[in-house]
Amino acid sequence: MAASFKELPRRIVQIRNRSARFGPRNPLGNSTFRTEVSAYRCCSGAAAGRSTHFGFESVPEGEKAERVYKVFESVAQKYDVMNDAMSLGIHRLWKDSLLRLMNPQPGLKLLDTAGGTGDISFRFLEYTRSVREGQLRHRARANQTPSWQEIAAGYGSEGEEPAESRAVVCDINKEMLKVGKERAETAGITTGLSWVVGDAEELPFNDDQFDVYTIAFGIRNVTHIEQALQEALRVLKPGGRFMCLEFSKVSNPLLSRLYDAYSFQMIPVLGEVIAGDWKSYQYLVESIRRFPDQETFKEMIEEAGFFRVQYVNLTGGVVAIHSGFKL
Amino acid sequence: MAALIRSLRAVRSLRGLGSVVATTCPASLYGGLRRGFHRAALLASDSKSDQTVPPPSHHEHYQHEDPWPNTSYQDQSGEQAEDYETEDQLQARILTAALEFVPQHGWTVEAIAAGAETLGLSAASAGMFDNGAGDLVLHFVGQCNVQLTEILAEEHNQVQLGQAEKKKTADFLRHAVETRLRMLVPYIDTWPQAMSLLLLPHNIPESLKHLSTLVDDIWYYAGDRSTDMSWYTRRAALTGIYNTTELVMVQDSSPDFEETWVFLDNRIRDVVNMANTAKQVQATGEAVVQGLMGAAVTLKNITGVNQRR
Repeated sequence: MAASFKELPRRIVQIRNRSARFGPRNPLGNSTFRTEVSAYRCCSGAAAGRSTHFGFESVPEGEKAERVYKVFESVAQKYDVMNDAMSLGIHRLWKDSLLRLMNPQPGLKLLDTAGGTGDISFRFLEYTRSVREGQLRHRARANQTPSWQEIAAGYGSEGEEPAESRAVVCDINKEMLKVGKERAETAGITTGLSWVVGDAEELPFNDDQFDVYTIAFGIRNVTHIEQALQEALRVLKPGGRFMCLEFSKVSNPLLSRLYDAYSFQMIPVLGEVIAGDWKSYQYLVESIRRFPDQETFKEMIEEAGFFRVQYVNLTGGVVAIHSGFKL
Repeated sequence: MAALIRSLRAVRSLRGLGSVVATTCPASLYGGLRRGFHRAALLASDSKSDQTVPPPSHHEHYQHEDPWPNTSYQDQSGEQAEDYETEDQLQARILTAALEFVPQHGWTVEAIAAGAETLGLSAASAGMFDNGAGDLVLHFVGQCNVQLTEILAEEHNQVQLGQAEKKKTADFLRHAVETRLRMLVPYIDTWPQAMSLLLLPHNIPESLKHLSTLVDDIWYYAGDRSTDMSWYTRRAALTGIYNTTELVMVQDSSPDFEETWVFLDNRIRDVVNMANTAKQVQATGEAVVQGLMGAAVTLKNITGVNQRR
C-alpha cells in the first residue's frame, strides 16, 4: 500500500512567481508557467489561476484554505485523542521541548498561531507561572533579613513584581477554538488567555505586539508560507522570537522507511477507527511530505527577514523546531 | 580547592600556548568583539577615575554614538531595522546593558532579558544566547581584560614618553593584578556565582583562553621577552597568584579589600624570592659541581693516575 502511494504520479505544480505577478491572460505571463499545467485553471483572476498542493493533490490556491478548514472542522472534536494515538504521546514531549527552548521569562506576550486546541499556550502559561513563583519566592527569601540600607531604599519605590504573561491563541477554525476553550475551562486556566479567530496570512493584530510568535504543526497547512512568515515578522516586537514546530524530513534512511510505512499504513487507519475520517488523516501525512525540509525552511525564514535562524531536530528529524529573531 | 585550581590553571596556561604564542600584539586577538566595546572601554577610562566597569548609564551614551559604518556582513535582505551592525555587535551591546542588572538578578538569563529591554528589544531576545548566563560572564571577563590591556598600554606609552617612571617587575605585577581585580568590585557579591559558571565544563575552554591572554598581556607589558623555559614558569606563577588572590578577594570583608592587597603583596614577594632562590640554587649547584671536579682531578694527580709513562 505504501508502494502504490509512492508511485502515485505527482502532478504537483508549484509555481513560484514572486517577481512576476502576471494575470493568466497575459501571454508573457503564460510562458513563464511550467508545461505541466493540466491542473491549471485559467481565465478567472490571478489567485485562482495559480495552484498549490493539498497533500499529494494539486488544487487551486483559493480552494486550499477552504479544504483545510473542512479538514480541521471535522477532526476538531477528536483532535487531541488522535494526536496521542498517532504519536504515541510523544507530541507532548515535542511541545515541552519547544517551551524549554523558548525559556520564556514572566511578562511576555505570546501569539500562538494555528494554536487550535491551545496546547502551546497552556504550557506557556504554566511555565511562566512557575518561573514567576520561583522569582517571588527568591525575592521573599532575600527580603527576610534586609539591611538598613535596603529598607531605606525600599521606601518610596514599591518593589517591581515580575509581570503577568499573556497568551493569545489564534486559529482560522472556530471549531478548534471551541474545543480549546472547553479544555481551558476544565484545566482551570481563566486569566491571561484569549481566543481569536484569524488567518495566519493576514493576522488581525497591529504591528509590534508580541514577544513570541509560535506556530506548532500549523504552517504546513498555510497556502502561502512566505506571507505567514511576513505577518509573523510584522506582529513581533523588535527582539521578538519566531518559533515553528513542524514535521520535517527524516535524514536516517532506515528510520525514514519505518516512518513512511507507519505514516501511510497506520495513520489513516487510526483516523478511520478513532475519528471516522480517513481522508483527513490521509491529507495529514501527505502534507507532511510536501513541506520543505529543514534547510529550505530555514532559508525561507531568513528571506522573510529574521535573523539568527537555527533549527533543532527532534526524534531523528521527524519534527524540527525552527527559531528566528526579529532584530 | 585552591591548590586544585592552581594546578588546573597551570595546565591551562600551558595548553593555552597555541593562542598566546601567536599573539605578539594582544589587540589582534579580539577582532570584531573588541571593536564592539572598544568604545565602551574608551569611554569608561575617560569617564571614571577608578578603573571599574562602565557605569550603568553608560549604554545610553553608547547608543547615541552609533551608527557604526555599514558592517552588516550577516545582512540578508539588504534592509535592516538596526543601525547597520552585525549580530555580534548587537549581542555585545545587549550583554553590556545586562551587566547593570547583575547585582539584582545575579548572572542569569533574567539579567540578560532585563538588559535587552533597556535597549528597546523584547525580553525574548535573551534566547539568542545559547549559553545563557555563561555568555554574560565570558563577555564581562573579556571586557575587563580589554580594559586592562588598554590601561597597561597607556602607562607603557607614558613610560616611553618619559612622563612616568618605569616600575620594577614586582611592583608592576602588583599594580596590574590589583587594577584587574578592582574591576570586579561592583559585582563582588555575585562573583562566586560567576566563577562557578566559568568552571562549568562547556565554559572551560573559553575561560581558559581569557585567563591565559590576561596573564600573557600582563607579562608582556611587564617587559618579559623571554623565549626559554622561564616563559612558562612566569605565566604559571602569575596565574597562580591571580587565582588565589581572586579567591581571597571574594571572601574578604575588610574596608577597600586591604587584606586582599596584603595577600597579593606576600604572594608576589614569595614568587620573586623563589625566583632568586632558584637562581642561587643553580649557581651554588654549579659551583659545587666544579669544586668536586677540581677535587677529583687533584686526587688523580696525586695518585699518579694521570701521568703518562
